[in-house]
Amino acid sequence: MATHFEMELDNLKSIIKKIGKLAEGQVSEAVKILLQEPEAAEGKIIKKTENKIDKLDIKIDEICQSIFALQQPVASDLRFIMSAMQISNEIERIGDLSISIVKKAKNIKEKHDLILKFDIADIARQVELITVKTNNCFASQDGNATGVIFVLNKDIRNSCEDAIHDIINEMKVNSKAVVSGTNLVIVLKHLERISEHCTNIAEYVYFTVNAKIIKHDKSDDLKAEE
Amino acid sequence: MKDIKIKVNDLSLYYGDKKALNEITMDIPANKVTALIGPSGCGKSTFLRCINRMNDLIPSVSITGKMLVEGVDIYDKNVDVVNIRKKIGMVFQKSNPFPKSIYENIAYGPRINGMKDKTELDEIVETSLRQAAIWDELKDRLDDSALGLSGGQQQRLCIARTLAVSPDIILMDEPASALDPISTSKIEELVHQLKEQYTIIIVTHNMQQAARTSDHTAFFYMGNLIEMGKTNSIFTKPVQKQTEDYITGRFG
Repeated sequence: MATHFEMELDNLKSIIKKIGKLAEGQVSEAVKILLQEPEAAEGKIIKKTENKIDKLDIKIDEICQSIFALQQPVASDLRFIMSAMQISNEIERIGDLSISIVKKAKNIKEKHDLILKFDIADIARQVELITVKTNNCFASQDGNATGVIFVLNKDIRNSCEDAIHDIINEMKVNSKAVVSGTNLVIVLKHLERISEHCTNIAEYVYFTVNAKIIKHDKSDDLKAEE
Repeated sequence: MKDIKIKVNDLSLYYGDKKALNEITMDIPANKVTALIGPSGCGKSTFLRCINRMNDLIPSVSITGKMLVEGVDIYDKNVDVVNIRKKIGMVFQKSNPFPKSIYENIAYGPRINGMKDKTELDEIVETSLRQAAIWDELKDRLDDSALGLSGGQQQRLCIARTLAVSPDIILMDEPASALDPISTSKIEELVHQLKEQYTIIIVTHNMQQAARTSDHTAFFYMGNLIEMGKTNSIFTKPVQKQTEDYITGRFG
């Protein structure tokens, strides 16, 4: 029979899965709005979900605080709870960035042409994919599943850098493209940040499972090989 | 680990036919606090008592293997057990002051060791009580009976009594388990300060106490040493599953 403490940990895990799914939905919605014409109703849905994410983020902090104070967790429990607090924070940021993407997307004129021209759709879909994979990685607490995320993040970062480079070159020769181009660069930076947050989550899962801190110190390739 | 104070090699202990400790091998570092943890009956207190040969007092006990304290096997037949216990003091779960004055409790050990000079004895009493962080509380009532002290004060008096004979090693068997949180925290702070001069080995059921006070932790289970390592590692990333299960409360 599960102890009271184990039930608390299970509860914490299910709330993180829930907030992760909400953020995944936000990214998916933001990508949809970016790639299609914006519609006001979708903007409202995304804002409503953001409020839910914020509430769950606070709830996770409260649960973790209570576990630290009352249960004094050690070893893998300690690592899981430390990671839970960080992961919740990362997820909340993913939600915020999704909203920012929607806001910026509205200011891009001739969006379809630009998206086609700079292969933005591929990048956006990859970002959608990395959020799904990150949620699965957390749910399964599989330290081996993190490698795929590190590789995907590297691809996304490279694609974003290439696209931004091309957009800047376009802006240099075509002053009419400056406003939309700048907004598109910001959107790409947001997409890149979402991917980075997913990587951070994968690093916390890795830490929980393997008791090893891998953030900061290694390239994505090396991390993927771990 | 450098500066090993106690080296234990394949030490086994039997109560009659029953094997209570199974080939324990470990190094206990000098001037550090080593905590022994494990469920009841795992052998941690039995092991602690091996270190100053307290188990000699139990007739059915037999011991094999080696317990080297500063390179000397304390179970060698030429070793004087009294000298061993002078060098290795012990503090028990229940404080056990002598039914004498506070002063006499501390002076007793040095006196039976032949010290007669009153000035010297006074000095030892004061130094020992200061080291045990209880001088300020007791300096004006040294002639009062030790039995009138609170539980926490009695335990610190017993620590001072241990210190009075200048041991190298202090063994503590659940020294704070019968004390309130304030007295417990005083004992834990004292342990922290004393390690500068002494090697301390502490048996505790209180996992947080082991985590707070010790530099190294050894986990015992069913007479076996399952894992020993730096306390920080044992409580954050233990290697053995049994250790992980025990410290996270998922044992059995």
